[in-house]
Amino acid sequence: MIRLGMYILVPAAALLMASCASLTLDRVDFGWPVESVLAVSSSNMIEDVRNGVKAGVGGLALAEFQDSTALRGAKLRLLRSAEGYYFITGPRFKNVYVFSPGASALTIYSAIPVTESGLRDPALNQRPPYVELLDGDSFRRLLTSNDVVEVKK
Amino acid sequence: MTRSLIIILLVAAVVFPALAWQSDFAVKKGYEDRYKAIAARIDSSTTLEELDSLKGEIAKLDSAYASHQTFLDKALYPTTFSESMEKLRSLHILTYDRVYLIRTQGVRLSELEARVASLTARLDTLTSQRDQLFGELQESKKSVAALREAVKRLTTNLQAKDRLIFAIVDTIFLPYGKDLNQVADVQKEAISQRLEKANVVTRVYEIAADNVKFLDVTQLQAKDYGNLIEQYQAFTSRWSGLKEKMTAVAATTSTVTSQPAGKGSTKGSGGKGGVREAAAAAENATTQAAHVDSVLLEWRAKLNAAFWSGLQKEITGTGITVDPFTDGPSFSRSIRAYVAMLKQTKQDPTTFVETLWKEKIDRDWRDGLSKESMLGKTEYASLDKLVSELSKDTIDLKLILYVLGIIVIVAAVWYFLFRKKKPAELPS
Repeated sequence: MIRLGMYILVPAAALLMASCASLTLDRVDFGWPVESVLAVSSSNMIEDVRNGVKAGVGGLALAEFQDSTALRGAKLRLLRSAEGYYFITGPRFKNVYVFSPGASALTIYSAIPVTESGLRDPALNQRPPYVELLDGDSFRRLLTSNDVVEVKK
Repeated sequence: MTRSLIIILLVAAVVFPALAWQSDFAVKKGYEDRYKAIAARIDSSTTLEELDSLKGEIAKLDSAYASHQTFLDKALYPTTFSESMEKLRSLHILTYDRVYLIRTQGVRLSELEARVASLTARLDTLTSQRDQLFGELQESKKSVAALREAVKRLTTNLQAKDRLIFAIVDTIFLPYGKDLNQVADVQKEAISQRLEKANVVTRVYEIAADNVKFLDVTQLQAKDYGNLIEQYQAFTSRWSGLKEKMTAVAATTSTVTSQPAGKGSTKGSGGKGGVREAAAAAENATTQAAHVDSVLLEWRAKLNAAFWSGLQKEITGTGITVDPFTDGPSFSRSIRAYVAMLKQTKQDPTTFVETLWKEKIDRDWRDGLSKESMLGKTEYASLDKLVSELSKDTIDLKLILYVLGIIVIVAAVWYFLFRKKKPAELPS
């Protein structure tokens, strides 16, 4: 009887576990309707209360300006794309940084160069399947998670 | 011509991309900033003129951001663009009303609202007491006396609730006078909002439904009906008055909200969302009113059924069988037929007249029967006269018998005492 139970239950449990491991929810849209404009605190942190994101940006400052304190007091633009990547940029940035979320961390996925002279007053818009980068009236880029797909002046 | 076209194309090439390339964040922030500024100005307004000009500002804000509605619906989550605009209009209307009342009538809105809140709280207390009383009433082990006491307390509770809800209604309408045609549209909309806030129609419905439930679970006595019928009639009449007022207010509200922007200084403005909401609100008010009407019909039907079946049982209890009846006319026909039968068959009407009519119907049921919605005073008086005549016939017959008896006795006394004795005949 016990042996019979082993023959039935063990494969059934294995099947169930296997099916759980491969369970995915499809057609997920992570996109925020609007970017968040976040001030960098004196402790190099940004916090988006509405979307529940808090992160240290010292590393980002170091990558863009070679100075981990360069972003203190600055206002960063943060937008999550429909795919789930976090796009970050700000004034004087030459790149748009794209991060993918992980356990207690945002890991760099790509840094997209957008201008040599640095952005003045950038804005990120959700334009699925792209993220739109604007800077003033004449600067517009459509971005994927790792590239610029359109340039219009 | 060609030169003009080139200029237009050049301008379009410069302007259109600039318009299209707009930061969503800037759109949201721009909307929120203008919204807050208008709301702050409304809050600090002290004159109707200021508020009139702000109405135009609201309309401009609406039309400026209507094209961003889809985006703003997401960005303003959990609210929507339409909801936020409606909220701003509502703030404007209530402020307008407050300023108007203070300026024209010296009524402090806070006092008015405090009174409505106090009455509403008392009503809610009564509602919780009512639940307890219904519970007591349904306990089957109660003694008859305790049951009567529970019925009495429940009746008092329901009547108090009835008075309170219409006191709330009166308080809401009081500052505007009796003639709603004299009241400005903005005030009518304010009334509508207050009625909605105080949940008036739902409360009216609940009170009517409580009365229906009361009739379902209560065994009433003959003397209870007079008050209950009066209460029903008063309630129906007050509801009818309220419904008329609500219809006037709802029609205006719909007009005000759906009025296109910039038309007239006393009219409001609204986008498509506003029109839809106004139509939905009007439809909702009509539906709620229809529910109240429907429960009132049920109340009336149950009250009538309980009354007439109770009366029929009372008659049957005295051993008299009359034709069944379910309303005033059929009761009248039934009694008339019975009286006619008594006259025709020359049966003794004493039980009918004395035991049933005088001791039960005339003493306990007259109050209820005399109500115009049941039998009416005239018809009751007519039946009472008919039954009394039946009694008079009996009395007349007895009187004649008494008189005849007295005559016979008097004649006998006279014969034996005062009759002159004939002289004895002498033998010849």
